[in-house]
Parts: sequence; structure tokens; C-alpha cells
Amino acid sequence: MGADNLTDTLTRQTENSPRELLVRTFFFVCAFVSILTTAGIVFVLVSEAATFFTGTAQFLGVTGETVSLVDFLTGTTFSIAGDQFGVLPLLSGTLAIVIGSAVIALPLGVATAIYLSEYASPRVRAYLKPALEILAGVPTVIYGFFAIEYITPLLKQYLFPDIGFFNALSASIVVGIMIIPMVSSISEDAMSAVPDELRQAGYGMGATKFDVSTGIVVPAAISGIVSSFILAISRAIGETMAVAIAAGATPRLWTTGSVDAGPVSLPYPDPAYFLESIQPMTGAMVQLLFSDITGGGLAYRSLFGIGITLFAITLFMNIVSNWIASRYQEAYD
Amino acid sequence: MAADSPSTVRDGFGTVSRTAGVVFRYALLAATLLGILAVGILFVYVANDAIQPFTADPGWHLTFFLTLVVPTLAVGYSLSGRGEGSLRVGLESLGLLAVMPLFAGGVAVLFLSILPALVVFSFAVALAIPLAAIVALQRTRQVGFVAKLVAAAVVTVASLLFVPNFIQNVPVIPVEWLLVALTIGAPTAAIAGAYAAASWNDRRVGRIAALAALGGVLVGGLVGSLTGVGGIAATVLATVAGVPVGLYVATVVDQHPTRREGLLLPLVVLGGMLLGAFLVRTVGFAGPASWLDWAFVTSDNSFSAESAGIYPALAGSIMLMLIVSLASFPIGIGAAVYLEEYAGNSRLTRLIEVNIANLAGVPSVVYGLLGLGLLARMLEDGLPVFPAVVADPLGLEPIRVGGDLFGIGTVFVGGLTLSLLILPIVIISSQEAIRSVPPSQRQASYGMGATRWQTVKNVVLPKAFPGILTGTILALGRAIGETAPLLVIGAPNEFGIPQELSSRVGAMPLQIYAWATTSGTEEFYTKVIPAGVVVLLVAMLAMNSVAIVLRNRYRQRN
Repeated sequence: MGADNLTDTLTRQTENSPRELLVRTFFFVCAFVSILTTAGIVFVLVSEAATFFTGTAQFLGVTGETVSLVDFLTGTTFSIAGDQFGVLPLLSGTLAIVIGSAVIALPLGVATAIYLSEYASPRVRAYLKPALEILAGVPTVIYGFFAIEYITPLLKQYLFPDIGFFNALSASIVVGIMIIPMVSSISEDAMSAVPDELRQAGYGMGATKFDVSTGIVVPAAISGIVSSFILAISRAIGETMAVAIAAGATPRLWTTGSVDAGPVSLPYPDPAYFLESIQPMTGAMVQLLFSDITGGGLAYRSLFGIGITLFAITLFMNIVSNWIASRYQEAYD
Repeated sequence: MAADSPSTVRDGFGTVSRTAGVVFRYALLAATLLGILAVGILFVYVANDAIQPFTADPGWHLTFFLTLVVPTLAVGYSLSGRGEGSLRVGLESLGLLAVMPLFAGGVAVLFLSILPALVVFSFAVALAIPLAAIVALQRTRQVGFVAKLVAAAVVTVASLLFVPNFIQNVPVIPVEWLLVALTIGAPTAAIAGAYAAASWNDRRVGRIAALAALGGVLVGGLVGSLTGVGGIAATVLATVAGVPVGLYVATVVDQHPTRREGLLLPLVVLGGMLLGAFLVRTVGFAGPASWLDWAFVTSDNSFSAESAGIYPALAGSIMLMLIVSLASFPIGIGAAVYLEEYAGNSRLTRLIEVNIANLAGVPSVVYGLLGLGLLARMLEDGLPVFPAVVADPLGLEPIRVGGDLFGIGTVFVGGLTLSLLILPIVIISSQEAIRSVPPSQRQASYGMGATRWQTVKNVVLPKAFPGILTGTILALGRAIGETAPLLVIGAPNEFGIPQELSSRVGAMPLQIYAWATTSGTEEFYTKVIPAGVVVLLVAMLAMNSVAIVLRNRYRQRN
């Protein structure tokens, strides 16, 4: 390469000219903003949550009430007025929303993905995909209103006559509807990436389209499907407005019933939990906002305590989802 | 293994049933449609509550059925028989006529209630002067780049410092609509001219188109100011809706003569609406007692359901969209360009990529906590340009700027929080658009001796532009519906029209939440909130439909 001195002499070096450097720096700063955003989120959550927990607050010289980490993680009562900040009732509410929405979104989402990737004609797909995107695009505050104004009365009239005005069921239904596109689009991408040779091999063996879809395409795309499940559940955990409006404001642990199985009675989570008002983590955060947040009191700081828990859970799930997608991905060349 | 294979083969053949496959297929279709249908039915419910069509006279429905629905269907059917894309032209022009006036309404709100025309005009001039100077500087070859940069910076700062003040204090002020026409009409006309010149491949046509557009805007403003419409509203309408529609009609008429019949469809719809309205008025049929009417859209909020309106929230949403697009689009597109065109495969690049993917999964309420903790509370006294840590030992006063912008629940903090929220979406969709530009075109540019920036500016960005636009509009559609972050940064339930960046932030979804939680009367639930929901949905769907149409056109061309 070095022999080509003439070319080097004649070439104008432009990579490091002031104009190129300036432009390059500008673009780099833009990209770096995303790192700063993450750093900002972590900094704010950690520094404010640190003033909430007793163990860390004493090092920061915070005066006023604090809550110990153990009480926060194991407390079974959450009461803003009573200054009791146990996160378990809120986790229990979030779990209900997750289970309820997953029961709706996961099967429907996978079925949609199979239909779009294996059965639908390009024309049908061109109409269905934007329609599905609308499900995820409807503002969540509108979903909350739908749940409380239309879905709960319908459930009350036809299925559960004694359902509460605020209840976990209608909130789960709308959250389930809004995360269907998340499951279907990521799963469909995974299914579309399955090479046609595998399908052709199946048909060559005499398999029907049903056999190929369920026996070849779905297993081959399983890593993408699982990662879409985790992402959708993480979205359901972080969903705020729909549950803040429709799920209620009664933080309580999952009620248990029990069945007699001979000598012992086995406890089981009572499904009736869904028919009453509950409060998930995000709902509690919205409610905390209506206590005094300007002064930086205990309610304000507990907001960050719950926030860092929420952030940790969703971040963990996103990382697991990425890991599954890349670790168990079938590589086709 | 070998022992049981014959029986497997014997069982496998001949027992294939069509039923299972057919049932499976339709079960999948049903599952696909279930969510869409459920939301569709909910939309029908909410629209019914907001508009209440069944309160109208049967005669009212019959009149509009005969003047509007029947002719439209007839024309549509005959167009679909013709083929040649004339039905598509009809639907596209109808869509343009339906959507563009909505955007015009949004821009008009901006000029009428938020930003005074004179202020916008003065800043537009202040920005146009440095722009002209930069163009002039680029043509000269004697001065070096650094000198040009310094000159451009000096001109920009000087112009922004002195020109707005100067113009705002000129004693002779022309009428406001003329200022609006100059501020947005002139650039729109220039763009229309450039588009026409490229589309017809003829500069003369471009010049004629630009002049016609400017003339149309001026005539529109004049007519509007003389009639009761109002000069500003008419000017904005002519600019935002009239110019694109005119350009579309001209394109169809001149370039696709076989599809001309398609333009009949919007004419029939418009004519049917006018005729129907005329007949209904003369005969005296009562229309529906719709809660969603002009008064709802244009009046202030109130504690009583009868007089509650959505105008302040609408203006707040428009203001937020303005800030979000100004803040997040340049940064998001810039980041995408860096990642796709500049960054090598370094560890930092991979860190940024993973980081963006994770940011896209962070719940919106957590972004709200970032806004509350950092922007609203830690920066409450302003941005520390000269922080106290440095200033105190030197015995100087610390300097902080923008103290009124930051703080609990200001428009500025709300806009920045939403910008950060949609930034990952903007970056990821822009990256996809940039990635879809074929590498051969970049190589051709480099082969001609272009530098990297020249390649990005002249090849990559123009080619990726429609894709970038689609992604950014979809991201904006997401931002307009966000409630949780605004609530968390301390947005109150009561807010007025935001006049400044330090005003209290308001937005349509916030208003809906406030109505749903604080005003518990039955009327709010059954009438006011549905009307508000319909306004928000229409705004969101209008934006998304533009993005989807853009995307479809763009895909067809590639």
C-alpha cells in the first residue's frame, strides 16, 4: 500500500478536515444523548431512592422519616396516609394485571403471528398490519376510559353481576389488547425469518400446512416467540394510565381460598381477586403524585423507591428477552 | 426405531384430514381479528356517545343518505370498474381533503393562541438572514471553512439578538395575516415550486407553481379577512391544505389523464354535503345533538359539563408537539446517521446500540421520574452554566440560566421529557430508513470524490427521507397520547393555554384523565369524555394515516 505514494500525495485528506470533524462530532453528540438519558435515569432513581431507604439515607444525612429496605420488600401493607410502604400488595396487583393480560395477549398474539406469516396473502397483510399497529397506538388513557365505561358494565351485565366498579379484570383485558401487537409483530418477524427450505422439506414429507405451521415454523421461531412474550409482559408491568384509571386504588395482597385435599387443605390464589379493586405499582405511583410531591417528603421519595423497583424489573426482563433472542436463535445461512 | 417405522408410515398415509387445517386457519383469522374488532367496537361506542347520531330526525338521516351516501357509493362503484387507479386517486384526494384541514387547524391554533404572528415572523426573518448568509458563504471559495464557520456563527447570533427586537418595534405593522402568509406561505410556495419542478422536470413549471401557490395563499388570506373566517385562519388553511390539494389535483390532471375521473369522488362528497346541509336547513330536520361540536373544540374547560371544552388542552398538545419535534427529530436523526454512517464496530458503538434498545423498553412512567427528579427539581433554579462548586472557592456568584423554564410541570420540562421518551423510537426507525439506502449509491458518491458528509447530505438523507419522516411521525403520534410522564413531572389538573415555555403544561390526554378522575358526574362520563376521546383519536389517527400512506408509497417505489 505504501508504494502508492503518488496517489497519497494527490489525495486530499478529507476525513479530518474541520468541516468533517465538526459534522462528525455533532452526530456523535446526538448518539451520546441516549447514553446520557440512561445515565440520567439511573442517577435520578438511585439518588432519590437512596433518600427513601433507611440504610442509605443515614449516609446522605437525610432527616425525616425513612423506610427500611426489608420493610419495603416484605411489608404487606401499603398505605400512603399511614406512612406504610410495603411493596408486596402492589407487586400482587401488578402480577394480576400481568397474568390477566398475558392470558389474552399471548395466545392471540401468536395466532395472529402464525396467520400473518403463514396464511395471509400480501394484500390481506397490508391491511391487517396497520390495523394491529393501531391497537398499540391508541393512547393508554383512552384504554383506561374504555375499560371503566364500556367493558366493566358489559362484564357486570353478562358474566359477573357482582364485579366492582374498579376491577383488575377489565384493566387486564385492555392491557392485554394493547400488547397483542407487541407479541404478534416480534413473533411474526421470527417466523418470517424461518427459511422456506424447512417448510418445503415438511411439505415434501407429506405434511399439511397445519403440520408445517405448528410442527416446523413455530418450533423454529420459538426463541423469537418467547422473547416477544417477555417484552410484552414487561410492557404490561410498566403500563400506567389504563390501570391507574380502571384497576382501582386498593393495594391488597392476593386473596387465597383453600381446597380440602384429605388431611391437608391446599391454599390457592383466589380468582375473585380479579373482580375487585386492586392497585399495581404504576397505579400507586400515580396516586402518590396527588399527595405533596413538591416538598420532597416521604411520599415523593417513595415514588422513586417504587420507580427503581419497576425499572429494575422491566430492565431485567428486557435483557433476558434480548439474551434469549440471541442465545437460542437458530442460525440459518 | 426400525421396528415401529412401518406402522407410522401406514398410519400417516390416508388419514390426512382437511377439517383440522380449515378449522385451524379460520381460528387463526378469528384470533387476528378479535383484538381489532374489539377496539373497533369500542371506537363505535365512544363515537356514538360523543356524536349521538340517533338523536337526529329520521328525515335528516334520509336526506344525507340520498344526497351523500348514495351518489358517493355510485361514483365509487363506477370508478372501481374503470381500473387504471382512478378509484385510488379518488380515495387519496378525499383523504387529503379530510386530513389536511385538520393539520391546518392545528397550525392555525398555534398562530391564533400561542405564538403571536409578529413574533413568529420576526424570528423567521432572523433565521432567514443567517441562512441566506450561509448559502452565500458556501458559494465563495476564497475563505477557509473555519473562517466561514465563524462568520456564519456571528451572523446567526447577531441576527437572533437584534432582528426580532427591531422588527417587533417597527412602528408600521402590516396586517397579521400578511405576516403569516410571509412566514409559512412563502416557504410552502417555494417547496411546492421545487416539487413541481422535479415532478414535471421543468424549471418553468416550478416557477409557475410557486407563484400560483403564493398567489393562492394571498388570495385566501384576503378573502378570509374580508369575510367572517378571519385572515389568519384562512391564510393557514390555504397554505397547509390548499397548496397540497392543488398540487395533487394538478399532478393528476396533467400527468395521469386516465385517472382524472377519480377527482369526481371528492366533488360528489363535497357537493352532497353542501346539498344535504341546504335541504336539511330548508325543510327543518333537526341534526344530532352531538356533544362534539365547534363549541366543544374551541371553548375553555369548565366545571360544568355543558360548557366544558377542550381548547386549552388542544393548544397544549400542539405546543408540546412543536417542542418535541424540534428537540427529538434533529437529535434522533443525527444519532441514527452516526450509528449507520460514521460509527465503526467499536465497543462504544455496541454499547450505544444496546442502550437504545433497552431505553425503548423503559416504561414511560420512569421517564416521568427522570423529568421530575432531574428537570423539575434538581434544575429548578436553572441550568448551572457556572456551577457553585467552581464559583464558591473563587468567591464569585454562580450562574444558572433558564430558571423559569425548569420546575414542576412546565411546558418546557414536559416537552423535553416526551422528547427523551420518543428518542429511541426516532433513532431506531431512522436507522432502518438509512439502512435501506443501497450501499451502491454511497459507493457511487464516494467514487465521485465526495466526502462522508457530502455523501450523507446529498445521497443518504434525501434517499432515506420518506422513511425517516414516516418513523418520526409515528413517534410523534405516540407522544401525543402520552399521559403518565406529564402527570409525573407534576402537571396539574388545571391549566390554561400555554403562552410561554414556562407555562403550565397541558395536553389532551391529561385533560381526559382529569375529567375521568376529578369530575365524577355522569354527564362527564357519558358525553364530555367521549367527545374528548374522539378529538384525541382523530388527531392521532390523522398523524398515523399520513405516516402509513407515506410508507406505502415509499415501499412501492423501492
